[in-house]
Amino acid sequence: MEYVNPEGLRLDGRRFNEMRQIVAEVGVVSKADGSAVFEMGNTKVIAAVYGPREIQNKSQQKKNDHAVVLCEYSMAQFSTGDRRRQKFDRRSTELSLVIRQTMEACILTELMPHSQIDIFLQVLQADGGTRSACINAATLALADAGIPMRDLAVSCSAGYLNSTPLLDLNYVEDSAGGADVTVGILPKLDKVTLLQMDAKLPMETFETVFALASEGCKAIAERIREVLQENTKQLEYRRAA
Amino acid sequence: MVMRKLQLELPLNQTQKVRFKRAMERLQFLSSTTNNSVIVADSIHEDAFLLKGHGTSEVDGELMATVCGVVTHVDKLVYIRTLRARYKPEVKDIVVGRVIEVSKSCWRLELNSTKDGILKLSSMDNDVQRRKTYVDELNMRNIIVEDDVVCAEVGCIHRDGGLELRATSYKYGKLEKGQHLMVDPYLVKRSNIHFHYIESLGIDLIIGRNGFIWVGEHVQAQDHMILDDEMIKHTSLETRQSILRIGNAIRVLSNLGFTMTLEVIMETFNLSNAENIDVYDMLGSEFHVLVAENELERRIRRA
Amino acid sequence: MDGRLSNKWRVTVNESKFVESALQSELRVDGRGLYDYRKLTIKFGKEYGSSEVQLGQTHVMAFVTAQLVQPYKDRPNEGSFSIFTEFSPMADPSFEPVHPGESAVELGRIIDRALRESRVVDTESLCVFAGKLVWNLVDAANIAALAALLTFRRPDCTVGGENSQEVIIHPPEEREPLPLIIHHLPIAFTFGFFNKGSILVMDPTVVEEAVMSGRMTVTVNANGDICAIQKPGEEGVNQSVILHCLRLASSRAAATTKIIREAVEAYNRERSSQKVIRHHTLAKSEVLGPIEVV
Repeated sequence: MEYVNPEGLRLDGRRFNEMRQIVAEVGVVSKADGSAVFEMGNTKVIAAVYGPREIQNKSQQKKNDHAVVLCEYSMAQFSTGDRRRQKFDRRSTELSLVIRQTMEACILTELMPHSQIDIFLQVLQADGGTRSACINAATLALADAGIPMRDLAVSCSAGYLNSTPLLDLNYVEDSAGGADVTVGILPKLDKVTLLQMDAKLPMETFETVFALASEGCKAIAERIREVLQENTKQLEYRRAA
Repeated sequence: MVMRKLQLELPLNQTQKVRFKRAMERLQFLSSTTNNSVIVADSIHEDAFLLKGHGTSEVDGELMATVCGVVTHVDKLVYIRTLRARYKPEVKDIVVGRVIEVSKSCWRLELNSTKDGILKLSSMDNDVQRRKTYVDELNMRNIIVEDDVVCAEVGCIHRDGGLELRATSYKYGKLEKGQHLMVDPYLVKRSNIHFHYIESLGIDLIIGRNGFIWVGEHVQAQDHMILDDEMIKHTSLETRQSILRIGNAIRVLSNLGFTMTLEVIMETFNLSNAENIDVYDMLGSEFHVLVAENELERRIRRA
Repeated sequence: MDGRLSNKWRVTVNESKFVESALQSELRVDGRGLYDYRKLTIKFGKEYGSSEVQLGQTHVMAFVTAQLVQPYKDRPNEGSFSIFTEFSPMADPSFEPVHPGESAVELGRIIDRALRESRVVDTESLCVFAGKLVWNLVDAANIAALAALLTFRRPDCTVGGENSQEVIIHPPEEREPLPLIIHHLPIAFTFGFFNKGSILVMDPTVVEEAVMSGRMTVTVNANGDICAIQKPGEEGVNQSVILHCLRLASSRAAATTKIIREAVEAYNRERSSQKVIRHHTLAKSEVLGPIEVV
């Protein structure tokens, strides 16, 4: 099957280094301390953050002087084409672990000892790149909740089909069997936190795809910064008295 | 432009949208033109400051923000005032909390903060200064029980974050005959008076620094340790309606994100009366737009 | 008190400081160099397709089983390949008997992703069991799975019977069972990051795992391809460090592939010499002795 036609257009008309349209919004769950909705094309994820609050379960406290970060990733049963049978399966468990560790790397947990931060992620529509969308949504929600962070964690995926590196794969491109590289970076500190890859790639090709994904991350970081800046300004001028 | 969603998901019709938008734009114009707001990982461009406070961190010699907020400096201290964070307790703050647990010789209160507040039995003093005995401990449930609303003062903050509360005067203690509201803590400013008694309506208004607000019928300050066996007096319909009106005024202000002071609340209350708006309709779109416009005028007057 | 009750081993402050300060001077607690691997031993069991791998003190067992099932409708020419991981409480008191914990699930998925590329035509399922003492399971489990796959023989089957629609499975006594077609051998290497990503070690032990601030597992094959990477969040590292890890892993892949292939070949030779005996008499064959590789 042809995923990139001879003119260089993909199945949805994008070029190889074009991302899908991003829509991001903060403050959507009124009860939560922080919340956000993040859309990349048709993939839509909602994140809600509660905390820092009193630890609910004392046995979960591993390090005495750090906050405990809990994360739950789940896909709504209507998020994919066929109704999903189970809400929580092995993939959800692994993704919860991975996203939790990514966010833990950027939250300054040592400033909030003896407390707990809960991150809930719900995928409302899945069209490839759900874990990237979740990390981006979680970052927005954490910033909205006023939780101190080292940097904004952003994530993006890239793949390799028809001998072309492609940025931001959707579901069809992802299930084509080519490589899928998901990268999570801290843009200001210029560090890589998350890196996952499946399928085979020679070393040089990997470096190209990795670089492309990092570029995508930087673009998303810009967008997230815009959203947060606008939100902060708005809250401030409304409040000012 | 990203609009923070109005929490009640109000359907505004076309004219209302236009009016609202215009009011917001003018409010934005009025607010200080120097833009000090920062977000996570922004660098703070300031001259050498001796003290780096909350919300800042030094990375490779550069000062960066760790939260979203507004850069504030007090003398030689630079810190970031957060907006949507949980309440950060300070000693001598008045707070209102909800009881979640009754333990041995103390009550645990939920305060919308990082840690729950502990109100010790021994911190509830009364006229007769005496040691609390085991009889008092057994009686704890007769005074304050789970889900009660209690007003207290922040006593001391331990190093590990544990928060102790005191209810040493008669105006503190269990709150009855009223309504408990939750708003964001950043909307409540520190002031000298947090207990307001609105004489014309016979209503008590307690604005807790943690964002919990109490609106209730006026009750004489009395000893809370003495069990009151008197028949509970019935609150009049008028007082109840006033309580509701003030409650809704606070809700509207919280939705719009305006600071809560007695002045603003009373103005909103009077506005609703002047426009003859039904108590329930106060939560509708028209009143929200009216309050926004009113707030704009108020700020113009003050400026 | 809680720590004791939950039976979870936690590293003490002393140990973690010792490990960190040793690493500052490029020494590891067990005397290895920063990029040295522990001793690798591969043993095979009586059955075709069972293997046991030892990496230092970590033991992992792998079994391969096969079943004939209906193929997926959209892939009628391909079989399926699935991996199940079990952490038995025999290995470590903190493992629960039935419910797979987070790390078990992650391990299973890493290996699953890594091995999915060695496509095999017919159906099979692969079970990986973790044995004693758990130190760096991923690498050991990966090698165990590969060794098991290489030695697995599936029973030969032909189409025959009454109306040429039935499939007859021939038992191993009748016909020689067939090996699986393995395209390439992806080998996993795990790295640990310390001290904000500035110090890097290969093949961390359980103490180092408890102290380290980040980890990454890279699966490469001898052809220079990268098959899978798993860096599940945690400490951020520079891009250059990641590329360095990839290069280190690539250079090791050839050596480890050779070890596995030699072990499999030695095993096959032993098997074939024993097989001749088996057809004549019905004497039971013994479990083969361990094949030690250093």
